[in-house]
This record gives sequence, C-alpha cells and structure tokens, in this order.
Amino acid sequence: MSSQFDARYRVSPTRAETAALRRRAEIVVASQRESLERIPRRPSNIAVFERWVESPPDDPAHPLVGYFCNMIPTELISAMGARPVRLGCGNPALVAPGEEVLAGEICPLAKSSFAQFMDAGSVASRCRALVVAASCDAKRKLAEVLDDFVPTFVLNLPPEQDANRYSSMVAGELERMARFLSDRLGTALSRRALRRCIDEGQRRTGLVRELQSVRSKRPGVLSIRDLFLIVQSAWRGVDTSAWLDETRKVLEEVRSCDPMDLDLRPRLVLTGAPMIWPNFKVLALIEESGADVVADTLCSGAQGLFDAVVYEETSRSALLRALAARYIFASACPCFISQGTRISRVLDLVQESGADGVVNYGLRLCQLFDIETYRLQRVLRERRIPFMNLRTDYSLEDTEQLRVRFEAFLETLGERR
Amino acid sequence: MIVAGVDVGSTTTKAVILDGDTIRAAVIEESGPMPGETARRVFARALASAGLREADVPVVATTGYGRRLVDMGGLVMTEIKACAQGVLFRPAPDGPIRTIIDVGGQDTKVIALNDSGEIEDFSMNDKCAAGTGRFLEVLASKLGLSYKAFVEHALSCDTTIQMNSTCAVFAESEVVGLLARNVSKAEIAAAAHNAIAQRIASMVRRVGQRGGYCFVGGGALNRALVRSLQNTLGDPIYVPENAQLVVALGAAVGARRRLGEITGRGRCPADDAEIHR
Repeated sequence: MSSQFDARYRVSPTRAETAALRRRAEIVVASQRESLERIPRRPSNIAVFERWVESPPDDPAHPLVGYFCNMIPTELISAMGARPVRLGCGNPALVAPGEEVLAGEICPLAKSSFAQFMDAGSVASRCRALVVAASCDAKRKLAEVLDDFVPTFVLNLPPEQDANRYSSMVAGELERMARFLSDRLGTALSRRALRRCIDEGQRRTGLVRELQSVRSKRPGVLSIRDLFLIVQSAWRGVDTSAWLDETRKVLEEVRSCDPMDLDLRPRLVLTGAPMIWPNFKVLALIEESGADVVADTLCSGAQGLFDAVVYEETSRSALLRALAARYIFASACPCFISQGTRISRVLDLVQESGADGVVNYGLRLCQLFDIETYRLQRVLRERRIPFMNLRTDYSLEDTEQLRVRFEAFLETLGERR
Repeated sequence: MIVAGVDVGSTTTKAVILDGDTIRAAVIEESGPMPGETARRVFARALASAGLREADVPVVATTGYGRRLVDMGGLVMTEIKACAQGVLFRPAPDGPIRTIIDVGGQDTKVIALNDSGEIEDFSMNDKCAAGTGRFLEVLASKLGLSYKAFVEHALSCDTTIQMNSTCAVFAESEVVGLLARNVSKAEIAAAAHNAIAQRIASMVRRVGQRGGYCFVGGGALNRALVRSLQNTLGDPIYVPENAQLVVALGAAVGARRRLGEITGRGRCPADDAEIHR
C-alpha cells in the first residue's frame, strides 16, 4: 500500500536531549503519584494499573501499534496480533520541548504527545506503526510530521455523524487501515480474530459499566482519579485478559466496601476535553475541594470504555460496520459538524446520576471544545442545571485561581441543595 | 454577637470585627511575603483596636487567596461568596445591586446576583494580570509616576487614544511606543484606565449585563477607574464606603450566620439587613 505522505519531502526525525527530558517527565509523574497517595480509599491492586499506564509490558510476540484518539477501533489492531497503545500524552514536562520544535499556539496535548517521539527510546518510538484519527487540525498535520518518526496512517473521519450517508466511506477507511497494518505487521485481518477481540472488548466495557454503576451510587468507594487510571491503563498495550482480572478484583472490593459512609458531597458530571495521565490536575482539584465526579463524557474517562461494540451479523463487513457505529458514529467528540451526542449524554447523565451540576473541562487552544461550550452552557442554563467551565492548560500555576472559581461554584450549589 | 472576617488578599490583608450591625474595628495592611503571619497580626491589631481579646470572638471566617494559610479555627469561604455577602450587608442607596465588580491586586471578579441576592454567575480573569490593579501599577511605574499621581493624571484628561493591550507585559511596550510619539503622560494614563475598563466591561457582559452596579476592592478607590468604568458601562456605579473592606466584612457576615446556626438561634436579626435591600 502506498503511503499517504509525499515521499519526496521526508525529513530526518528531530530528537531531544533524552536524559533531561525523561527526568522532567518523571518528576511530574512522581508528584502526581504523591497526590494520588492522599486519596483516602484506594483499590489494593492500584499499583498494577499505575505501572501499566506508564509503560506497556514487554512482549516480543506482540509488537506495539500506537494510536491517537478514542475513535480508533483498537479491536482491529489487536485482531492483527499487535498491542494498541494510546499515545495521547498528559505530561506537562513534555509541552515545552514539543513547543520548541512545533509552534506555540497548538494545544498542550498535541505538543506533549509529539515530544514523546523526540525520545528515541520512548514507548511511542518503540511502536511499529502509528494510527491517527483526523479528529482535529493538530492531529491531521501532526500525523504528517510523525510519519518521519514512525510509519503512520491517518484515519479520515466523516464530517458529519450521519451513518446513512457516510458508513461506506468509513468502512473503506477501516479496510485501508487494515491494509496499512498488514503491510507493517506482516499479518492479515481475520474475521474470527476480529470477532474474538470485539467479544473481549465487550467484557471490558461491561466491567467499566459495573464499576461506574457502583460508584455512581457511592462515589466514595472509588476515586475518579483511580477510575481514570484503571480505564486509561486498558489502552496502554496491556493484555486484555490480565486487565480484566485485575479490574474484577477492584469491582469486588468496591462492592464489598463499608456501606456505612454517607456521601454528602456535591455530585458532578464532568464533560469536555480529554484528561490524560498524569494531567489529573482538575480531577484532583474537584476531589480535594470536596466534590465528586459521578459520571463523565470524556473520551479519556469512563465514557471512553462505556459503549460496547454490538454486532448482529458476523461477516467481516458487518463487524467493521459495528466498529464504525461504536467508535465514530456514536462518538461525543466535538470534531463533527453538529454534536448532539455529547449534549444528550450530559443531560442523560445528570438525570440518571442525580448530579447537582456539570463541570466542563476546557483545554486551552482546543478550539473545538471551546466553541462547543457556547451551546452546552446555554442548553444547561435553559434547563437550570448549574454549570462551571474550567478552562486551563497543563501548567500548574493557575491552580489557586481555578480553586477559587471551583469552590465558589460549590458554594452556590450548597445554597441550592 | 461578635464575629470577625479576615481577607488575605494578594496585595493587602484586611480584618473586620463585627458586633451586631456595627463595625467595631477594621485594619488593612500589605500582605507581604508572609501572608499567614500578616493575617494573624492584622487580626490581632483589629482585636486591640476594638478592645477585645481573642476569646471574645467565637467565630473568625477567613477568605481571599490565602484563606487556607491561617487556621483560625473558624470558617473558610471563597472571596466570591464573601464579596456578595459584604456588598449586601447594607442596602445600596439607589436600588438593588445586581452586578458586583471587584478589582483586586491580582484578580478581577464580576459577580451577578439574582432578584433574591443569590450568586447566579460569576466571572474571573485568567491567571495573568490583565484587567487587575497590578496592570495599572506596572504602567504607573513605567511612566515614572506614583500610583496617586498616575490616577490624578488620568482624571485630568479625556483621551481618544486607544490602548490595545490589557496584558501588563505587552502594555509596557505599548507605552514605550506612545512615549516615543510624544503622547502626554496624562493621555497615556487615561488610555490605560479606559483599557482596563473595557476589559472589565467585557467580563460584565460575559455574565449578562444586568445593571445595578456596585464596585468594590482596592480598584474602587481609584476615581479614574470608576469614571472610566461608568463611561464604558453607561450606567451609574455605586461605590460603597470602605470598598476595600467589603470582602472581609462579608466573611464576618458569613461567620455570624454560622454562629447563628451553631448556637441554634437560626437567622440572626441583623441578617434582615439583607432583605431590605
């Protein structure tokens, strides 16, 4: 299969001074871990997930395939014998090195994600191939840059979430992705393997749903930060059956948690841009200020593993259609021309979880989420649902200002309760 | 019922001691590099000036960015809530307050109130100094003027010059450009005040322009800023007495309410002042 990128202008990869880069990144991870240690109640096996989220287990039999964004059907990658690793990066220490090479006015997620590739020994650089969903301008053009580092495929997305109009286009794109992976990995996509991976994926989403339903009733049993760690570790090249085993243990623990504690803290629905480990600053702020996130619509949160891939027929094309329906046509990403999925989801979650309000996480320089906040805010206001927009980036220096804003929001909720 | 409020702000720390409806003492001091110690000192000075001992004050509420630096064993609240309570403590002379503008050293806040005086929405500047008192201080020093002289210069002049930047850093270079064009200090001072007023007005529109303006915080002591803001918003602005103390006063009001809850006396009669707005 010919590359999507113009071979005449390939350039050699730009690398950074690795030791210093890694040291800065590790300091951030260590300080975030310290913050997690202050969570009053944590699953006894949480260290396993902390390890997984940092670095995928080494397994020579299964090469790593990196990917960006939750619209990439990971089952397709697994079915071809590789381990999918989500490479969206949340480490603030990598923003500046990325900015030195790219440009300033790009979102911190894109800059830090790119910087991972500047370290030739990183997980990102170890990937055999890379698949990027063209879900925003930054990713679309970053893919072109990254192809110089790791062979890259861009999954084109339909402009609208209209399955009638675009399902054959998406099916064609998924076939193209399979051909690209086949060239890179030397394996073929079999219907049987794909079905097996989809079934395994269903067990994964089932478990996340069960966890969510327990903690939605009593959020004190499992911190939202630990839930995010568990969910995000599933995307880090981990063997799914190992992940299922460990997560079942967590579920048993939270189910048998002391039912005596009262949850009087304000209950919030979280929506907005992705928060990726170790960028848990807003999650920490929410919990440390005395509130709980009882549900979310984040592609990097529980929502990211909430919907199962559902198929009725088992032909190859039917399975690919099922992947498209789950990953693309049901996505809550603001990259589509009209995005009712997310707003409907927020409204449903507020009702189902009995939430007191909604917090929107705006990632500075992500225009898609920023502009969509316009409608979300007005729709919620019309329904008299309290709303708070926390717009920030990866840096920590605005934490106190965010805290004042958020605590004042909680005070106004307190007066309504 | 004696209570106290301490507002540990980025630039100054204020303490108010409230006895029923009377302010028994009010003290303001620069926060300095050790805001926790300053807060305790300011509170001690307020006690001394009221002729009270610490034991006479059962609840102390702290607010402001340093609200958690001092453990006074009482109540902690955000300056947004405290500000609203402080403004509502006394009825405004020209009808109910619907919009509070608080310009402090580090932050500018706009608080929108509903008909019942509850906070409906609020907006706050981002992490930079744009639209805050700090912005004007930086420009005053760039012009070689004291802050007081800077304000006087601005008041002496009606300028048409527009400053495009409300970023303290960019504005500094803009001032250099204006000086190079021989624009007078008075015009630059007036333009700087107008720029900040525009910025504040856009925050007001963000929470829904609803009139009933009350301007508090250290920024409200700046008459040139009050004038610019009045011109920009096109409505009169009420600046209460002790505008810089309003947040500390509001914290004290919160402390009084809490004391009422603790002692089981429910709503304190003095709280009714809020209903009469």
